[in-house]
Amino acid sequence: MIAALAVAPVVLITLLIGLRGVAAMRTTSDFLVASRRVSPLLNSAAVSGEYLSAASFLGVAGLVVKDGLGALWYPVGFTAGYIAMLALVAAPMRRSGALTVPDFAEARLASPPLRRLAAVAILVIGGLYLVPQFRTAGLVLSVVSGSQYWVGVVIAGVVVAVTLALGGMRAATYVQAFQFCLKLVLFIIPAIWLLLRVGPDVRQEAVNPTEFTHFGHDTAVTFRTAVTVDITTPTTVRDTAGGELTMPVGEFQIAAGSEYIFPEGAAVPGLKGQTPPGGAGWERPLIDVQGEGYPLLGTWAVLLATMLGTMGLPHVLMRFHTSPDGRAARRTAALTVVLLSAFYLFPGIYGVLGRVLVPQLYLTGATDTAVVALPSQVDDGAWGDAFTALLTAGAFASFLATSLGLLLVVSGAISHDLLAGGLRQLRVTVFLAAVAVVLLALPAARLDAGILVTWGFTVAASTFSPLLVLGIWWPRLTAAGAIAGVAVGLLATAGAIVMTLFGSPVHGWLAILVAQPAPWSVPLAFGTMVVVSLFGRPPPWTTTAMLRLHLREQPERDLGHSTFGLDRSSTVRRMVRRFVR
Amino acid sequence: MPHRRVAVTSPQTRLAHARKRLRARWRVPVLDPADAERAQRLFRVQRRRAAAAVGWLFALVLLLPLVFALWPRLDTLHLLGIPVSWLMVVLIPFPAMVFLAVWQLRRAEKPEDEE
Repeated sequence: MIAALAVAPVVLITLLIGLRGVAAMRTTSDFLVASRRVSPLLNSAAVSGEYLSAASFLGVAGLVVKDGLGALWYPVGFTAGYIAMLALVAAPMRRSGALTVPDFAEARLASPPLRRLAAVAILVIGGLYLVPQFRTAGLVLSVVSGSQYWVGVVIAGVVVAVTLALGGMRAATYVQAFQFCLKLVLFIIPAIWLLLRVGPDVRQEAVNPTEFTHFGHDTAVTFRTAVTVDITTPTTVRDTAGGELTMPVGEFQIAAGSEYIFPEGAAVPGLKGQTPPGGAGWERPLIDVQGEGYPLLGTWAVLLATMLGTMGLPHVLMRFHTSPDGRAARRTAALTVVLLSAFYLFPGIYGVLGRVLVPQLYLTGATDTAVVALPSQVDDGAWGDAFTALLTAGAFASFLATSLGLLLVVSGAISHDLLAGGLRQLRVTVFLAAVAVVLLALPAARLDAGILVTWGFTVAASTFSPLLVLGIWWPRLTAAGAIAGVAVGLLATAGAIVMTLFGSPVHGWLAILVAQPAPWSVPLAFGTMVVVSLFGRPPPWTTTAMLRLHLREQPERDLGHSTFGLDRSSTVRRMVRRFVR
Repeated sequence: MPHRRVAVTSPQTRLAHARKRLRARWRVPVLDPADAERAQRLFRVQRRRAAAAVGWLFALVLLLPLVFALWPRLDTLHLLGIPVSWLMVVLIPFPAMVFLAVWQLRRAEKPEDEE
């Protein structure tokens, strides 16, 4: 019931704003880049709205509960990426006039094979990024409303596909800008309410972490995925039917979907390869990847991936193409840093409170739901319900906004870059892509949103970021070099991800470099691009192609289409156009 | 017989929409010599400034974890009841990054305005 109250308005408003964007849509350019008429402020709100995905809204706080304070580096990397974007990519990329990243590759290097390879990279990044969004939608709905996991996944898929197929980028821009404001309010107000409501004891406990060893009160734990727990003292638990079950000392298998109530004072079962919340190292603000004991290397790996990956995220780059010119794109990047910094001051609060109030989530494999689980722990009356509803609405808004942009680039890559097609084909592709992602998300319930999204960043950092940085700043880049670099980066990161998911476990610093390959895959991709390019000889026109990206656009002289006043609001723009006519 | 609705467009627009996107290679438009020289100058200035901004960014983001790794005492030191390292990981990077963004935006727009 709460879930319906929370999610229905978000879905309705999304659809309504989407319909507003349907007007006057005639060309692929209208659909893909909103006819390039979006002001920096609106665009930066839309960029932030799109960027604050389930991984930011829920994932960071969940990772803090599970792994410790180090998870607060993820938002730092997410934001830092926009400074790299501002300095290196935003303005020249926009001036290239390309619609998508593969378009840019072709405009700069005139190589159709590179275009297709870039489109494949987009599909990999889009998949890694979309699956966790849909997965978290399913998990959150199942936590607050008790529905099945697949229901939420399917609802998310339908809403996103319909909005996008009807409205395209113009709709997505308004929807995402609206959702940024929604998310900011729905994240900050509950955080402050929680801090005030919990009382001094919990606040004291929150800043003095102790290991979660015994249940503080009778605690219901719903195991979302099958786990093997390690029992140290015989524990008698009740199941939902009222029956009792004693878990013997040793390893104990728990099936997915089972719910047990652990009595007050019972010892917390251990999970293999994980320290419980508040354990040794939890309070250190460093990321100990896979618990292998190299926190500094792990932190740097994550920071490199997120920082350089942002620069190459295709759905974010696409947003910059909706700016009217290079300077507006650069301003959009700068404003985005400001907006994101405001939002990212708060996930830590949910994380440290979650460690005190809902540490049992670490057993369930669903720490991502800590944010929405908090209000009912603090207040079991109407206020608790109200804030659960607000946070669920915010969380749902975050998967919708991110999925909109991602589904758009994925469909764009298939229908615009791999096959040449018009608007109708693009709309059909949107539906097919949504179905594919829903099918991929259904078996992905146990994968962490934060981890999957970071892999998406790593692939982007090792493919598009060298392509863009060298394409914009190095005249000697050749098509062969670019193809070799993107292919090596894609294979290296995809190989590392497959190793982590299905391969035999490795240990020590090697484990970190396999789980977070950015520290070696990014230099490898850059190096391959430079070395292969140096063996070739760029065509004579490449210097011109590169220099054009650094020249400020001349205002058009054509009176009917004057660009004067394009950075103003649409009303001002309409009046300007009337005067110039 | 029901009326068929027809979009009214100029013949050129109709042609442009009906045409499939051009797949052939295309030639980069030539810059005139004055523009080329201007672009070359802007490129050099912007490359230097962008490199400096990225350098500061890397220094900020990569050195702060090093500080935490070298001085674990920051985790036990409390300021207003909160561990100092927890405050540092939130309250240092974000304001610094906002400053860096505004600074770099100004520096990148200046040479373009002067041209």
